[in-house]
Amino acid sequence: MAATNIDLLGHTLTEQEQELLNIYESLKRLAKQDDLPPCAARNVRKALSSMWQVTNDLDLQFEQLYDLGV
Amino acid sequence: MVYAEYWNPKNEKLPREELQALQLLKLRRMCEWAYVTTPFHKRKFDAAGFKPDQLKTLDDIRRIPFMTREEWMESEMKKPMFGDLLATDPINAIRYHLTSGTSGRTPIRVLDGTKDWDWIAEMWCYGLWAFGVRPEDIVYFAFGYGSFIGFWGAHYACEKIGALVIPGGAQTTEARIRQIIEMGATTVCSTPTYALHLWQKAREMGIDLAREGKVDKLICSGEPAGSIPAVKQQLEEAWGAKCGDTAGMTELGTIMIFECSHQPGGTHIIEDHFIEEVLNPANDEPVGYHALGERVVTSFGRGFIPVIRYRTKDMVMKVPASTCSCGRTWDLYDGGIRGRWDDMKLVRGTNVYPRAVEAIVREYPAIDEFQIYIWRRDDLQDEITIRVELKPGHEAKWPELRVKLAKDLAQAHEGLRFNIEHMDYGVLPHFELKAKRLVDARPVAQYS
Repeated sequence: MAATNIDLLGHTLTEQEQELLNIYESLKRLAKQDDLPPCAARNVRKALSSMWQVTNDLDLQFEQLYDLGV
Repeated sequence: MVYAEYWNPKNEKLPREELQALQLLKLRRMCEWAYVTTPFHKRKFDAAGFKPDQLKTLDDIRRIPFMTREEWMESEMKKPMFGDLLATDPINAIRYHLTSGTSGRTPIRVLDGTKDWDWIAEMWCYGLWAFGVRPEDIVYFAFGYGSFIGFWGAHYACEKIGALVIPGGAQTTEARIRQIIEMGATTVCSTPTYALHLWQKAREMGIDLAREGKVDKLICSGEPAGSIPAVKQQLEEAWGAKCGDTAGMTELGTIMIFECSHQPGGTHIIEDHFIEEVLNPANDEPVGYHALGERVVTSFGRGFIPVIRYRTKDMVMKVPASTCSCGRTWDLYDGGIRGRWDDMKLVRGTNVYPRAVEAIVREYPAIDEFQIYIWRRDDLQDEITIRVELKPGHEAKWPELRVKLAKDLAQAHEGLRFNIEHMDYGVLPHFELKAKRLVDARPVAQYS
């Protein structure tokens, strides 16, 4: 899912929300890289899982991440 | 430090029209996910002629077929261990848990991925934060940490909140009480029955928990009693603490309702992560506010095993959000979970199915008739007694039978203690057809 400037209800994102969503999308991109060392690969997934909670709670995304092992 | 009152102010105060729009969007996406990934749901959707794109309004949820525990168990039995309910490869799982099954019942087995397991804690965060748990708290878990999901999610939620967590795992009640006092625990998570037991044991030890302890919050789960006013009052007086109720299910992995610090006599539904329908179990029609019905739950959390329109057989009464003064826009269940529509009984946190008990009792040919008698001791603790009549001429077998039957029943019920009572022959009712061998003599909860 590409970063967007509205939430699931169509409201314009606040600056904080935009930043949170950007971080989430960055972590997804990192998780797709298959040459990360284990310490990075696993902690990126842990961080991505945390950011999934934030962005889901704030209605910024609602998707599954099992294809990234999360 | 001053903290925000809500864990997620955006959604906990979301106007209901927007909340329902969010639920519809999530429902459609969850159904799309389930349809393409989960053979169980695809089969059921196809059989019912349901397609996710038919979801135009929330009322369209009624097009979706119900999901039942029986179907779930049947699927597991046909295709061990998880049936055809998994939406993704088990390699993506990081946790395995199962329901507190009893003899004769297949337990529900669940897997969680990384984000599912985090989400389970996240739901507990909503509830714990709402009841006042904050980073300064010291939270004691009077919990056995087994494969039953219990308070696992609450444990991780408290870590996430930043509280100090004390896992009071496998130790005696006395040792737990000493830790609660020594560590200055401010919050205790427990079943209501065990919280009362802790207090009684503390009294025997000469400890007055209300005076000598620092606990100001008791978080209850696992039994309906946490919302029964008489039990709540007893707990609050005994501990000198506020008692808050929560309720969850292994099938969901977490809690779906919680009591906030305003203690409105009910539990808020986490409506941005669940749809909770309340239906008349006789005709499956929705009932309105203030009417008793059966909970039917749809979860937007665990994607590993989608739970969509799951019939819980829990008895509830929904009331509007305005019933509570906390400002949340989420509806409540007045009195929490009030009971069960089926024959399952909950005794000190353990599921007891009369048929499973009968299956064990009937392994003893010396027993002629029996009765399952559930009662409450001193208005505090639930007890289960198996009253048995022996066949004439078998009386000499009683001493050995009593011990062995109690042991067999306990082993099949997570160690639950069964009392075994010998009745004179002919005292118990004898049946020819539809036997009624279960007597639940516990007082009916009063909520007014």
